[in-house]
Amino acid sequence: MFLKVQLPWNVVIPAESLDIKGLMLQKSIVVRLLDEFASRKATKDLGYLLALTTLESIGEGRVREHTGDVLFPVAFSGITFKLFRGEIAEGVVHKVLKHGVFLSCGPVENIYLSKLKMPDYDYVPGENPVFMNSKMSKIEKGSTVRFIVIGTKWLESEREFQALVGLHADYLGPVS
Amino acid sequence: MSGEEEENAAELKIGDEFLKAKCLMNCEVALILEHKYDQLQQMSDDPRNQVSQVFEKSLQYVKRFSRYKNPDAVKQVREILSRYQLTEFELCVLGNLCPETVEEAIAMVPSIQAKGRVHDDDAIDKMLNDLALIKKFE
Repeated sequence: MFLKVQLPWNVVIPAESLDIKGLMLQKSIVVRLLDEFASRKATKDLGYLLALTTLESIGEGRVREHTGDVLFPVAFSGITFKLFRGEIAEGVVHKVLKHGVFLSCGPVENIYLSKLKMPDYDYVPGENPVFMNSKMSKIEKGSTVRFIVIGTKWLESEREFQALVGLHADYLGPVS
Repeated sequence: MSGEEEENAAELKIGDEFLKAKCLMNCEVALILEHKYDQLQQMSDDPRNQVSQVFEKSLQYVKRFSRYKNPDAVKQVREILSRYQLTEFELCVLGNLCPETVEEAIAMVPSIQAKGRVHDDDAIDKMLNDLALIKKFE
């Protein structure tokens, strides 16, 4: 689910980029925030950081001793993406393995749908392996699949989420 | 959510901060991200240098999974769904998946039929019809 969140954040502006006019200060704060957004990628609580929408307020800057950099507490709104346990969403298959398939959904790429969680589908090997059920419904690379989230896990070192999903409810499965 | 009840979106247990947070439908995110992308394009020759991977993947995703493309239709979807006392989360799941039948809608968002909620089958049916109409006239 995509979320619109309001966040407090601390932005450090290096001393050398401070001898400019006020308008530029706002610009350097936004540029800095965007950089941090891109390098942080995601946080455990908020999920993936997508985009900054508005800079709500810039607080009083505090000069840091020694370096002369200035730290500004800012508040901004942004868009994030997080998968919740029990949520139903749609994703795209990007890898088919013997024991299950990997899907991507929004910015999340490690979404695993195990064979055990789609018991009526069987693995059909070949150059383009697929999973197929008795009604000839196919899950292959590029397929859109509607799934339910069984669990998610935050990987601190990679700064990303993994999710386990299943098809064990009505109206789930490949969507044409 | 540690120490609390286990997270389960089907029962709307997703943590207070998220229950109150504003959720966005895929089609709304598509409008916002496309606008952002255009802005960046004006600022530099190659906007792909400017956007993060997370941004790019999300943009691709919402482009593919937006049921409504026209900005007016997107607005109307939210307006119509807002009349049905849904939480933000429920509203967006319905707007994203566009279930066709009452049964499907309940399967996608089991919480809409939970005890104490006002949604009977007729109300849900009416809501789905309203949604289908927007799609038709988009």
